[in-house]
Amino acid sequence: MARLVADPDRGGDVVVAPATPPGASALAIVRLTGPSGETRKVARRIARQLPQNPRPREAVLHILVGEDGRPLDRALVLFFEAPHSATGEEVVEFFCHGSPAIVAGLLAAARAAGARPAVRGEFTRRALANGKVDLAEAEGIAALAAAESRGEARRALSLVDGVLSRRVCAVREAVLDALAALEAGLDFAEDVPAGDLAAAREALLAAAEESESLAAVAARGGERDRRKTAVILGKPNAGKSTLFNALVGRDRAIVTAVPGTTRDAIEETCALGDETVRLVDTAGLRATGDEVERIGVAVAERAGASADLVLYAIDTARGTSEEDREFLRKGRGAGILVVKTKGDLVGAQAASPAAAEASPPMELSVSALTGAGLEALRAEMALRLSPVEADGAFLVLERHRAALADGAARLREAADLAGAPGEPELVAARVREALTALSAITGETATEDLLDRIFSTFCIGK
Amino acid sequence: MEPRWDVVVVGGGHAGAEAALSSARLGKRTLLLTRDRATVGRMSCNPAIGGLAKGQVVREIDALGGAMALAADRTAIQFKVLNGSRGSAVRGPRCQSDKALYAAEVSRTLDATERVTVAEGTAAGFLVRSGRLAGLTLEDGSTVSCGAAVVTTGTFLRGLVHVGDSRRDAGRWNEAPALALSHALEGLGLRLGRMKTGTPPRVRAGTVDFAKMALAPGDERPVAFSFRSRGEDFPRQRQVDCWLTHTDEAVHDLIRESLPLSPLYSGRITGRGPRYCPSIEDKVVRFKDRPRHQIFVEPEGLTTDWLYLNGLSMSLPESIQEAIVRRIRGLERAEILRPAYAVEYDMVFPEQLDASLETRALKGLFLAGQINGTSGYEEAAGQGLVAGANAARSVDGKAPLRLGRHEAYIGVMLDDLVTLGLDEPYRLLTSRAEHRLLLGADSAYARLTGIALETGLVEERDAAPILEAEARVSRAGAALAAARVLPDRATKAQLEEHGVGLVEETTLAGLLRRPEIAFETIETLLEGRLDAESAEDVAMLSAEERERLVSDVRYQGFIAREKDAVARVARSFERTFPEGFVFAGLPGLSREAVERLERHRPRTLGQASRLPGVTPAAVTLLLARLVAAARGSGRGVAA
Repeated sequence: MARLVADPDRGGDVVVAPATPPGASALAIVRLTGPSGETRKVARRIARQLPQNPRPREAVLHILVGEDGRPLDRALVLFFEAPHSATGEEVVEFFCHGSPAIVAGLLAAARAAGARPAVRGEFTRRALANGKVDLAEAEGIAALAAAESRGEARRALSLVDGVLSRRVCAVREAVLDALAALEAGLDFAEDVPAGDLAAAREALLAAAEESESLAAVAARGGERDRRKTAVILGKPNAGKSTLFNALVGRDRAIVTAVPGTTRDAIEETCALGDETVRLVDTAGLRATGDEVERIGVAVAERAGASADLVLYAIDTARGTSEEDREFLRKGRGAGILVVKTKGDLVGAQAASPAAAEASPPMELSVSALTGAGLEALRAEMALRLSPVEADGAFLVLERHRAALADGAARLREAADLAGAPGEPELVAARVREALTALSAITGETATEDLLDRIFSTFCIGK
Repeated sequence: MEPRWDVVVVGGGHAGAEAALSSARLGKRTLLLTRDRATVGRMSCNPAIGGLAKGQVVREIDALGGAMALAADRTAIQFKVLNGSRGSAVRGPRCQSDKALYAAEVSRTLDATERVTVAEGTAAGFLVRSGRLAGLTLEDGSTVSCGAAVVTTGTFLRGLVHVGDSRRDAGRWNEAPALALSHALEGLGLRLGRMKTGTPPRVRAGTVDFAKMALAPGDERPVAFSFRSRGEDFPRQRQVDCWLTHTDEAVHDLIRESLPLSPLYSGRITGRGPRYCPSIEDKVVRFKDRPRHQIFVEPEGLTTDWLYLNGLSMSLPESIQEAIVRRIRGLERAEILRPAYAVEYDMVFPEQLDASLETRALKGLFLAGQINGTSGYEEAAGQGLVAGANAARSVDGKAPLRLGRHEAYIGVMLDDLVTLGLDEPYRLLTSRAEHRLLLGADSAYARLTGIALETGLVEERDAAPILEAEARVSRAGAALAAARVLPDRATKAQLEEHGVGLVEETTLAGLLRRPEIAFETIETLLEGRLDAESAEDVAMLSAEERERLVSDVRYQGFIAREKDAVARVARSFERTFPEGFVFAGLPGLSREAVERLERHRPRTLGQASRLPGVTPAAVTLLLARLVAAARGSGRGVAA
């Protein structure tokens, strides 16, 4: 596991890391960060023409030399002065050609010049330490780097921009005001008229509501762990795995003509427009004597029950069976799309209502083989699975949601206590608990395990 | 050969007296050096002990074997619990004491204590041997050698008294200041600051018209500070009333007109005054909208005709003071016996101390009381007790006594002083304690008796009755929590007599948790629900212990959560920095943070986190560093 501090005995050092992924590409970026003066000294061993005092934020073409002093590449070098950089320290960025050999050579040259390879999350950690970002914003950086869709990226960026932090701070300020009033009544009982508990109660309830509405944003998703899930269900050999492979875009599940081939649930991500969803292929639903398959069927049923959307596959040629009807009758209406598979075998069909039932599931016909109907299916899935995104929607991670919910609960308890006669010190105690919970979001309070978890999600160089 | 003392205490005020006593309790030959024996234990300002947060400190001092609580009880002429209608955690016991009797009682206690010697003399400098305090030089040129010293100079270091335009060198009204010691402290490399405090006019009782004022009586049932008072005649003195009157707009106008004559506003006083105990000039300027301010008229004793005008501290010229006082209802013909005055004095910025109150500049030198920038008798006494104990322990090479923020208000105060520093006189407030519900005056013995026994500040025979009472309360509490109350017809009828409804099965403790149920109601339900031993425990509870039990039961859920929070935070925040930990050069630590950390040298991460300028992110980083060090990392990257 990654340690936050690589070597406690070597403080204040210059660290180096590639900022772009490994592998050949058109361009690669290698970054240095560290104390002022030290960092440029390392850089000047690589870009020998770099002046003693480079102009900040000006991209200049330089010959870069390796540790042996021989030319390595010709690349743009960008210098940032502390504290006006991503880490708050002096930063130098090299925009070199994207050959792994050049990147390796640059890293070796930097090490030879005194830089140390950065540990996981070190760039962001330094930004955090220098007050460039708070904890929530740092998490946003991690989420941004890990975003797999434009929607995820957009929401993560708003976290980086401090949208959540600002709103949480506003709540905290309001709560602090209410608390200050309560405390004054307790500590200066002789001078200050008894604190107006009714006013405090109003303020606490308003803060609780704002916290709850912020927590509600989290439920709208966007984070990897809470991606919407579509599960493919159906009888054996209904063409589920073929449909799965077609939606995922590669042959992930094994496809045979033998019913019951898929025995476990297989999960993959699937891009739908700006969003990414989870797609799960399952074992065909049937009564079976094979123990492994039986477990697989149970897994399938559970997956179906917790899915945001069920794609119920029916082999067009074999038509809708009694079991299919039974499933659809018991089923969940809007949460089910009936997918008529193997449409190429009987010729394309238009979507049509399944049967004369109240709000029957929508039915689409596709051919995974020819691709016919797949786009319509994707569009329908995207419609049903995209998070509802209000204006300025932003990412709220599970950690934030839990803290907001905790804070809101404490605030409501405090408001209840303030509504009853008696003991303002108990109101204050609850309000303080709420503040502790809310402060955890921006990292005003942090525990060790929390930090371990947060920092271990970072990649080197971010 | 000159005598050698284990510990020398400089100053005989509230800090000095407790320091000498706690040092002696730990077996050390202790010299208390005062400029004037007659002033030992003097109440320089108000004639009261205790109050909000302060009353809790007095109880803590008692639990740690100190003298203030018992001296207050024996000399008190009025008792009143502030915030009496609120929960026990924020109730502040307070008493008015006869000033002369109080000082005499403190003096008598010192004289009666084995190993304490009180002598007159004025400290002028420090003797240093191999980097450690070895003795003091006195103004008369003599020297006193010692293993450790506690300096408690109050307002005397370069003291300057102001009344209007006139000012003179004095530590109190007519007592000469200490001049040499400031230079000696600076000579050690300590940074000194300047603070200001003030005291109101005293008027003659025979010239005051009490009929025009509101009566401010004490509580009907006085509550003692000290556990030891349970074993003696209490209250010992005749109990008297105070009175309440108010300023009005006419008084405020006069004060406003006279502001240019106040050294506070003319710039002649440069020291910072306390926000929490403002002068009347400050109140009038800062709270323009308040049409009146209250003035409590408090007798300074049973046999004196001096009255203390609480709420009227100022530094205006004497002639104007008289005009102001005489415009106040009931004081129209009052004769001023001593005018209000302000005093400026040197203090040592306390971030230069360890939480043991030892200076970092010189091992063996401890500071306590107003010299550390605090205000208040109780704050001073609490520091004195800790400094005296730690001076004694340092002579033996023992680790200092430390009190946590969740253990005592004294712990909150010491931690605030040495980590936050200050720019105005420091006063304890209950809101400074993040674990306020754990720090009620009634729980002081439960919190501190164990520590007191461990360190030797209290002897076992003195602690035994305290521990027995604590055990009785907790046994009674457990018995009530186990006693089932079923909603049967008989019980319901019984409860209805007290206007209490019962729907579900509960316990006696469950009933007691309801604010509308008095302990007396519970007592009617004991029969058949408690075994004989538990019934006896409940029957033996004193009035204080009953209240203790009620608040224990009512706070229970909250206290459990606070203790959880303490444990959670403690895990991280009680991590200590190894000796000689270098903050400079830590990767990613801002320069400002490094400067603060190097200057204050916090002992724990919790202290570091409370330093201004140390951002949450910096704390995160320091924590990461400590975690890594503790895990024996240094093996490098393990990604």
